[in-house]
This record gives sequence, C-alpha cells and structure tokens, in this order.
Amino acid sequence: MTTALPTKVQPGADENEQACGGPLLLLIGSGLLWLVLGSALALLNLIQIYTPAFLADCAWFTYGRLQAMQETALLYGWAGNAGLAVALWVLSRLGGAPLRGTNYIVAGGLFWNLGVTLALVGIAAGDAAGHAAFQLPRYVQPLLLFSFAAIAVPGVLAWTGRRNASTYAGQWYAVAALFLFPWFFSVASVMLTFAPVRGTLQAVIATWYAQNLFSLWLAPVALAAVYYLLPKLTGRVIPNYDFAVYGFWSLLFFGCWLGGRHLIGAPVPAWVSTMAIANAWVVLFHHIIVFFNVRDLFRSGSGTVMRFLAVGTGAYLLSAVVDTAFSARALAVVTQFTYFQQAQGQLALGAVALILTGSIYYMTPRLAGGVWPSVGLIRGHFLAFAIGFVLLVASLAVAGWIQGSALNDPAVSFAQISERTKVWLQLATAAQAMLLAAHAVFALHFAKFIVGQMAKCCAARPLLAAEVTVS
Amino acid sequence: MSDDTIVAAHDKAAAGTPDTHAQYRILPLVLLFVFSGFIFYAGAYLGRYSGRFSGEIFDERQVPTSGQPVVAAIDPLVLGKRQYALACVTCHMPNGQGVPNLYPPLAGADWVTGSEERLIAIVVHGLKGPITVNGNVYSAAAMPAFGQVPGGGYNWSDERIAAVLTYIRQEWGNEAGPITAQQVAAVRTAHPDRKEWTEPELLALP
Repeated sequence: MTTALPTKVQPGADENEQACGGPLLLLIGSGLLWLVLGSALALLNLIQIYTPAFLADCAWFTYGRLQAMQETALLYGWAGNAGLAVALWVLSRLGGAPLRGTNYIVAGGLFWNLGVTLALVGIAAGDAAGHAAFQLPRYVQPLLLFSFAAIAVPGVLAWTGRRNASTYAGQWYAVAALFLFPWFFSVASVMLTFAPVRGTLQAVIATWYAQNLFSLWLAPVALAAVYYLLPKLTGRVIPNYDFAVYGFWSLLFFGCWLGGRHLIGAPVPAWVSTMAIANAWVVLFHHIIVFFNVRDLFRSGSGTVMRFLAVGTGAYLLSAVVDTAFSARALAVVTQFTYFQQAQGQLALGAVALILTGSIYYMTPRLAGGVWPSVGLIRGHFLAFAIGFVLLVASLAVAGWIQGSALNDPAVSFAQISERTKVWLQLATAAQAMLLAAHAVFALHFAKFIVGQMAKCCAARPLLAAEVTVS
Repeated sequence: MSDDTIVAAHDKAAAGTPDTHAQYRILPLVLLFVFSGFIFYAGAYLGRYSGRFSGEIFDERQVPTSGQPVVAAIDPLVLGKRQYALACVTCHMPNGQGVPNLYPPLAGADWVTGSEERLIAIVVHGLKGPITVNGNVYSAAAMPAFGQVPGGGYNWSDERIAAVLTYIRQEWGNEAGPITAQQVAAVRTAHPDRKEWTEPELLALP
C-alpha cells in the first residue's frame, strides 16, 4: 500500500459531509463551551484545596459541589458532546454515506445539553448523586440516557447501512462505544439511584461505572478517531493491522473489570480489588497491540493534528502502564486516596481530550467548509495544552506521593501534610490556568471560524435567489 | 487515502499475506507468549489473593475460615480402640485375655479397673519383672514405655494414652470410669526420669 498521498488540511474531493455538518458542529460547539466552563470550575476547585476559605461561605460553590460540577461539565458536557460528534463522524465517513436521521442529533443534542445544564444547577443546589464520575441528580439521568440514544441513532444507521460489507477498526470502536454507554449508564442509574443497592456494594458499582465510562466509552471513541485519522494523515496502512481485532476485544473483555483498583484498602471484600489488579495486567495486551498499530504516530515531522493525536495516544498508553504499576498493593498503599489518583485520572482524561481536540481540528473544516482562520492559534493551543497537561499531571503526582507517604507516617500531622503539598498544588493550579487559557483560545477560534463560514453562507444566498428570479 | 480505500486496504491487511518467502513473523509468537504470561500472572495472583472470592474476607492475605477455629471432638473410645489395635493387641490379644503365663489379661483384671494412677504409670513408663494379676503370677512380664518419656519408644501423647486406657477400662465387660489426658500428664510429670516400674514400686503408689 503506497498509493494515495496524505490528505492535508485541505478538504479532499471525496469529502461530502457538508450535508450533515450542522448537527455535528452543534455538538462540537456545545462541547467546547462545557470545556471552557468545566476548566474554569476546575481552576476554582484546585484553589480551594489549599485555600479552604475561598468560596466556603457560598453553599453553591463549596468544595464538594464545585468538584462534582467541574467533573460533570468535563465528562458529560465536553467529552460527551465531542465524543458523540467524533464517533458519529467516523461512522459516517467509513460507512461511505452522509449521516441519515440528523434531526435525531439536533433534538438529542439539545436535550443532552439541557440535561447537563440541569445537572450542574442540581449539583450546585445539593442534589448530587454522590458517586465519583456519576454525580448526576436523579431527575437528569433518564433525560441523558434518552438523549444519548437519540444522538446515537444516526451512528447506528451509518453502521447498519454502510456501503462496504467489510469493516475497519475505527468503526468497531465507535459502534461499540455507542452501544456500551447506554448499557452501563442504565445499570448504574438503576443500581445507584432508582433501586439503590445497599452498603459497600454501592461503592463497587460506582467504581465499576467510573471505570467503564473511561474504558468502554471515552477510550473507544478516542481510539476510533486515532484509527481513522492515522491512515488519513500518513497515507499508509496501519502496521500489524491483523492484530487490531485482538486489541479491540481484549479492551472490551478485560476493560470493564478494572474498577476495583480504586477500592484497594477500602472496606470491600478482598477479591474485588484482587480481580481488578489481575485484570490490569491482562488488559495491557490491548495497549501493546494499540502501540504496534499506531506507532507511525510517533514519527517526527508531521502536522499539528498528528501531534495532538501522538501526545494523546502516548498519554493513553502511559496511563495504562502507570495504572497497572500503581495498582500493585505495595505502591497503592501510598498512592491510594491521594492527589496521585487525581493525577492518574487527569492523565487518562487528558489523553482522551487531546485526541478529541486533534480530531475536532481535522473534522471542523470538512464539516463547515473553508480552513481554520489561524494556523498559529492551533499551534499555540497545542503547545499550551501539552505543557499545561504535563505540568498538571506531574505536579499532582508529586503532591500525591508526598501526601501518601506522609499519611502513612503517624508522626506527621495533617497541617504539616497540607504545608508540604501546598507548593505542588499551586503549581497544579498554574497548569490548570494555562489549560483554561488554551481551551478558551480553542473555543474562540472555533467560534470565529463558524461565524465566518455562516457569514459567507448568508452572503451567498441572495445572489442565488437573484439568479433564480432573473432566469 | 480515501475512506473506501481505508476500509478495503485494511480488510486485505487483516486477512494476512501468504508467507511465500519464508519470512517467519516473530510478532505473533511474541504476542502469544506475552498474553499467556499476563494470563498466567493474573491467574496466580487471583489464586493467591482472592480470599476464595469470599464476601467476608477483607484482607487479601487471609485464608478463609468460618469464625472460631473448630476442633473436631474425638470419641476416646474410637481413638482408644485404634491405639489398642496398633500396639497392645500383639500381646494382650483382641479379646483382652492376654496369653496364659506370658502376657496378663486386661479383661476383668484388677489392675485395669482398680487404681487409676498405677494403671497410667504402667503405660507411660513401662513395666518390668513379675506381676500378679487376678491371682496368677506372670514372671517374665516386660511392657515398653508408651508415654513421651526418655527412652520411650512409642512417644504417644497424653491424649492417646488416656484414650486407650479409657478403652480398656470400658471394653470386654470392664466398667471403670474414663481416664483424662490431665491425669496422664500429672503422672508423667510427677516421675520425670523413671525407668520401667516394678510391682512393689507400683503398689507403693496410691
């Protein structure tokens, strides 16, 4: 396979998605709004860790609620919207036809964003469900489930009505993500909210859900984008592609067992954590295969989209190694329930965010027509994002290690621990501020692009009408 | 690369290519070993730290038990019968009658149903020399030491000796009370460095 030159930023001749551009741009645009809002809330939230008085007398923005709000805005607002847009787009492109039933995307998208808005207001008012990554108030949960189903309809249609009988890895990951999210979301909703299980079983279900949200929804969507965009950008067939199918199934089979890692040392039966630690090793098989498949990403000399994908995929693979290493009980005894776990979470979610961002940079010109107004802004965004991301993860990891070691030493008081970790948390705050600025630039750039394209569109329309009347 | 080309080219790649030039690919074999290694490690880890998937084990190093350790209650008559069949039966015979003029009987013997301390002493330390049982003299009697004493060849625990004594005191029509392990221990510690007993020495005991 040496044919077909790489497709650069210019839309190719075979790109025909202007017809379905609007609905996907709606998802991307609202995702970017949530990204900026979520990053801003995350910044405030980080400041609160070492400045306890900050916003403490305002019930709506106390630490716990703000933490739940920023998490919900980023997971469901940003990653939810952007992930759905990317999954639908990959399925439509590889399916070989424009999306059908795009009204489902518009209606579902409006209700999804209404749901996330309600969720944030509800959490601020004190209705949070109280489980990490699953803070949605009970009245929002069915709304989100049905909106997701509506948005997913065109994706399923693109899969069942694809032009080629044969399929590609990008499609597997995207369609699996679309089907798996409603499964574990509805299970968690029933077992945690509507018919709640009792006692520590809740913690087991909640961590199972949080792990699935990453392993069975965010990661597959990101991988769908990487598997689709890599041959587009390089013009080469994925190396060792015959193993991709094993990588796919090993993630699906073993990925959903990893939740118990977050419960090492928690009051749950020992086998729950043991099962997760054992599977953390087995699931590395998936990551090894992904590495062999996408290793072309890490060659030097490629565009900014490629760099986003490379750093994101690198972080995804690194996060698997770190998660496996630190699920060993000897290390978990230090890092468990500390900032280190936040660093692990940021590493994994940042990996997905980088890949989604790169995909959006690639998709948007093909959805809206035209080219991005400024290449410099894209490069600046990449630099700020990458530096802020590395800094945030590293400083949280150091803070977590200091905190964990000190917590295990009975001679050190809590006040001393706060004192020792403070400088690293301040560094993390600076990193988060950098990320906020980067994402704000991204959102404004996107807004400028779309507004410009709409203006062109409106300017063209009267001309067409005049032509019609003349003839 | 167009979208259709991506699907078609990778569909071809997934099928693999015939190895016409005998270029053996090492990767499939390596991946097979790596995957087997992960599965092996995971299986061993699960087997060791799963607490047998019990809902009541919270420390992964703990082996599951059901609350208090349970010690099975042993019927002294069953244990005693077994001990008797292991050793005593050789001389005293299965019916407890012994051998006339050589080995004294146990069934209906005054020594067996009489003083508990003397009986215990005989079994723990052994017996040497003539002894009169039920009016008959057994001049060549020689019984080895069965207890955990210096020179004792059998090294039976106090529990086993108590069990076998209880057995012979309640078998063959004998109807004396049981002997406890504490009684055996008391006699054994009261005479730490003894050799075999003789009849006069025994008669001096209560």
